[in-house]
Amino acid sequence: MTKYHVSADIGGTFTDIVIEPSDGPVFVNKVPTTRENPALGVINGITDAVPNLADIEYFVHGTTVGLNAFLERRGERVLLIATAGAGDSYVIARGNRNALYDLRYSKPDQLVRRRDVHEVRGRLSWDGSELEALNEADFQPIIDKVRSEKINAVAVCFLHSYAYPVHELRAREILRAALPDVSVSLSHDVAREWREYERASSAIMNAYVAPVVERYLLSLQEQLRTRGMQAGVHIMQSSGGVTTADTARQKPVFTLLSGPVGGTIAGASLAKRVNRPNLLCVDMGGTSFDLSLVVDGEASTTLETELEGLPLLMSIVDIRTIGTGGGSVAWLDNAAVRVGPRSAGSVPGPACYGNGGTEPTVTDANLYLGRLGAKSLLSGDMSLDANAAAAAIEELARQAGMQAIPFAEGILAISNAAMADAMRTITVSEGVDPRDFTLVAFGGAGPMAAVFLAEELDIGEVLIPRFPGTFSAWGMLQTDLRHDLTLSFFRAAVAVTPDELAGLFAELEAEGTELVVAQGVTRDRVSFLRSADMRYSGQEYTINIALPEALDIEALSTSFHDTHKQRHGHSSPGAPIEFVNLRLAAIGAINKYDEHPHTVTGDGSDAVIGQRDAVFRGGRLNAPVLRRDRLPPGYQLSGPAIIEEQSATTVIPDSWHLQVDEECNLILTRGEQS
Amino acid sequence: MNPVDPITTEIIRNAFISIASDMNATLIRSAFTPVIYEGKDCSVALIDENGEVLGQSLGLPLFLGNLEICVKIMAERYGWDYFQEGDVFYMNDSYMTGTHLNDSTIIMPIFWRGQRIGFAASRAHWLDVGAKDPGTPVDSHEIYQEGTRWGPTRLYDAGKPRQDVIELLRLNSRFGDATIGDLNAQIAAGNTGEQRLQALFERFGPETIRAARDEIYKQTEAREREEITALPDGEYSAEGTIDDDGLGNGPIPVKLKVTIAGDAMTVDLAGSADQAAGPVNCGLTQTVAAARVAYKLLICSEESPNGGSFQALDVQAPVRSIFHAQEPAPCGWYFTPLGLLIDLIVKALSEVLPGKAAGAHYGDSMVITIAGQDPRHNDDFYLMIEPTTGGWGAFDGGDGANSLINNVNGSFKDLPIEVFESKYPLRILSYGIRQDSGGAGKYRGGNGTYREYLVESDSSLWLWFERSDTPAWGLFGGGSGAAPKVLIQRPGQETMERLKANDIKIPRGSVIRSMTGGGGGYGDPEERDPRQVREDLLDGFISPEHASTVYGVSPEAVD
Repeated sequence: MTKYHVSADIGGTFTDIVIEPSDGPVFVNKVPTTRENPALGVINGITDAVPNLADIEYFVHGTTVGLNAFLERRGERVLLIATAGAGDSYVIARGNRNALYDLRYSKPDQLVRRRDVHEVRGRLSWDGSELEALNEADFQPIIDKVRSEKINAVAVCFLHSYAYPVHELRAREILRAALPDVSVSLSHDVAREWREYERASSAIMNAYVAPVVERYLLSLQEQLRTRGMQAGVHIMQSSGGVTTADTARQKPVFTLLSGPVGGTIAGASLAKRVNRPNLLCVDMGGTSFDLSLVVDGEASTTLETELEGLPLLMSIVDIRTIGTGGGSVAWLDNAAVRVGPRSAGSVPGPACYGNGGTEPTVTDANLYLGRLGAKSLLSGDMSLDANAAAAAIEELARQAGMQAIPFAEGILAISNAAMADAMRTITVSEGVDPRDFTLVAFGGAGPMAAVFLAEELDIGEVLIPRFPGTFSAWGMLQTDLRHDLTLSFFRAAVAVTPDELAGLFAELEAEGTELVVAQGVTRDRVSFLRSADMRYSGQEYTINIALPEALDIEALSTSFHDTHKQRHGHSSPGAPIEFVNLRLAAIGAINKYDEHPHTVTGDGSDAVIGQRDAVFRGGRLNAPVLRRDRLPPGYQLSGPAIIEEQSATTVIPDSWHLQVDEECNLILTRGEQS
Repeated sequence: MNPVDPITTEIIRNAFISIASDMNATLIRSAFTPVIYEGKDCSVALIDENGEVLGQSLGLPLFLGNLEICVKIMAERYGWDYFQEGDVFYMNDSYMTGTHLNDSTIIMPIFWRGQRIGFAASRAHWLDVGAKDPGTPVDSHEIYQEGTRWGPTRLYDAGKPRQDVIELLRLNSRFGDATIGDLNAQIAAGNTGEQRLQALFERFGPETIRAARDEIYKQTEAREREEITALPDGEYSAEGTIDDDGLGNGPIPVKLKVTIAGDAMTVDLAGSADQAAGPVNCGLTQTVAAARVAYKLLICSEESPNGGSFQALDVQAPVRSIFHAQEPAPCGWYFTPLGLLIDLIVKALSEVLPGKAAGAHYGDSMVITIAGQDPRHNDDFYLMIEPTTGGWGAFDGGDGANSLINNVNGSFKDLPIEVFESKYPLRILSYGIRQDSGGAGKYRGGNGTYREYLVESDSSLWLWFERSDTPAWGLFGGGSGAAPKVLIQRPGQETMERLKANDIKIPRGSVIRSMTGGGGGYGDPEERDPRQVREDLLDGFISPEHASTVYGVSPEAVD
């Protein structure tokens, strides 16, 4: 009896579904997102392949519900309780100015207004000693306000709670007793790290999205259960691991970026399967271009991020976004040609969508140059208006005083150069060289631009994964349960013994094991990633260093110096090092099916479905158009060629060579066939 | 005829900007000291073979358009043939670079196939360059007390490091290793610029790049001149004062006249004070840069600066004035009059650019320094230096920001209380937004900040607070912000009020309360929407008394 593992990436426009059966090749689907009730779209997308939801053994999904609630500011009113004398630390938001030539700069819009920031007396010192007892009477007027103004969410952030949470824990008891129905987010519980503004901001974000995410998850669980699904609902976390819906409801902030991270996690999994440890992952859609790195087989993560200027302290896959996509509009600024940052979006969309858009976009240029076919999007479900694209391009070219063909190629050259610049900057700031990477392109528009981006960066190899349009959803099936824990640990490295570290990690591991086991895996499937945030004494910033199984302070110090050298270009062997945080990720291995190869039989001789004139470097070439799903492993060709599939078009110019690998990935290499 | 199509020009334009931003990323990634990687007290520029800017990253605004002047000064002095492939030059002399001796300017010529194609330049603040006191003295009266002066000096000669000279740099700093670390970060930034510019020449060739460059400059200059032409011709003046020069002499006047004539703008600083005895002077180069910052706030603000920028701007400063200092005038706190200069240019032009101008901001870095021995760490010496945020000016359509860092301090972030208390034997008793300190107006000036420090071991105090004589003014009927104030309460003694202090002993148990000024208001307070006044009351930005006396809004009307 066939069982299924199913993932769903619920985006703003489309819901991507990937289904792995226990005994057959993977199946993908793309259906419109039903925004008012996302569960409907998920069910629609699954039932084509799995009529009986009871056959689903494992279900994981990514969602933008929490993120959208934040972006559209539809979250809950939150009240913040802070230490007396320090409440404005949140309001001041560290006082920095990010736009340096703006006399009208205003700080990011915060989720809590100053009128809802309240202080209570009670003060701990930096070393945990109590300077002033918590003043419990100070809570009464706050409790009265929460009741009378019907506030549903409270965040608490006291000074030094990252290390000494005693006052925050007592605050929760007081609030629970008086306000049993109000959700309480404690700062140390959401982010156990110093810096009171960033920690308060993280706790507030959690409180702000909690009710929206909770309602959504309960509804999704309920509807899937009603339709017969017995498997629990899992959700992707921003860290790249998954968690159960029941756990996610407690700390919804950890799932805020659950959609986009799937692509990077898919990249990490791909890195191992194709034995290429360093990948530059690019996800290009209609309006944005997401960029992330897989280094030495692991998704590059960061421990801090910002959303619309508001900081979040948590482990998060490091994704950078620029506003370039298929919908980026070309325009003239006096004599200069510019592309973006404005996008035609989906309404009116590019001129070729035929919805009234008259400005040429990147997609229009691709169509005009023959790289995109008028019927290639979504297997021809949507046909494109080549005349409208031509009219838009030719008119702007005329205004710019250029021939239309070089002008259309120019639009792509400008947008490719902008993306390549962003890619260069991410690699420069990480201290890595893009030429050491394979470029992995996915998303609807990624495979069309991939080779041109590689040329800009002097990257010799491009990989287009199977099902590039649903790559993120596929990634969600490749990862495991994960729970992250942090322990503040300010100590000079020389004063730390391996036994002491082992003892502290044993405690973290016990805590982590319980949290993961509670989500339904057995103890023997729990493993750990141990790391430490370290720095040179006196530095502000830290570097996260992975800890080996056998703890050896000497080896750890060496590893720190080496990483510092790689990341920052220099190191100071011999200089004193200190610990700042210990971190543990508890991983609960999820049972995965041995994947059945996506077999394409035959020799590919039936793959060519047509010919199309396409322009490359000013020359018009006749290129074969091939169906991706008829290209068997081992198939080879030299460009020019165009490869079409349901959700993407891969463009291979002359001087690039294609080889299909055993898992049906397209491997493109520069140069003629060897 | 233009041999380059607009597509190639756009790609090259973006590449110049991207090279500069990668140089900046390299510098910040490699820097040793937080003042660079956190305070962003640095700047980089990619410069062409004639000394014009190809691209500049938006680092510290005050360094805008300053690095290319240093290249030109060198060329004037030694000729363009002086530069060899592989050279690295260091300079810090205030009368050349314009700023204080702590600011290190590194200039590296870039060659491609044997011809000079440009320069990579950077500037970064070094912690210490051997002044009489750690960091930057507040009471110097000669530049020789502020560190070692260096004219343009080869640290690398045609690719070979001059170890003896580099060692001199190390020996002349209290933090020699960090100094060399930051120097290497600047060189790394230059290498990034060199490699990428060479690659760009390899790809497009010199003729295309130069034609594109000329076109880019031309377009930028034309855009700026177009915006200036749209302003009515005339002379626009403004004046203000800084409190004193750190040695107790003051107030010190700053006067300027901005002339708009056709498509050109002149800023004339005649009437500003003669160079001061104390360290509030700067070199002409830096005065030009500050005027460019103000210009950039008003003209083509969105556009990245290049060699076409500022062609329409001329800056005149009398020799031996605070803005064109000569030997041996001290320059340690050079930015104090420049912060005022920027605000005054905006003020002068506010009548012709009412939609772009804003009320003045609180004005200066407001630096508090506390040093002593830390009993928690074996009585080691500790040194706490921090600038303080304050209120910004209101503008047409919006209130000024509360508690925001000043205009010459980049994207500096305050130190979290938790980090602060873990690091220093000092406790923050309270930190917050100073009620009623913003100037009144139809749009309200931002409020200043208070921060209260409890001293936990015997220490010493230095203060550099400014702009009490000319607090942040309002525009079009808006009121001024409150002036700064610092109270020093030592156990068993009367409270002292000071804005500048030099090594005052503050025993354990002392409490220092600093208060920074607010920003200026915009428009008549009577026109302020009473609903906004009530919102401010709810948020505590103003007191009930302020609401009724200044805005005539009765607090009882709330709810």
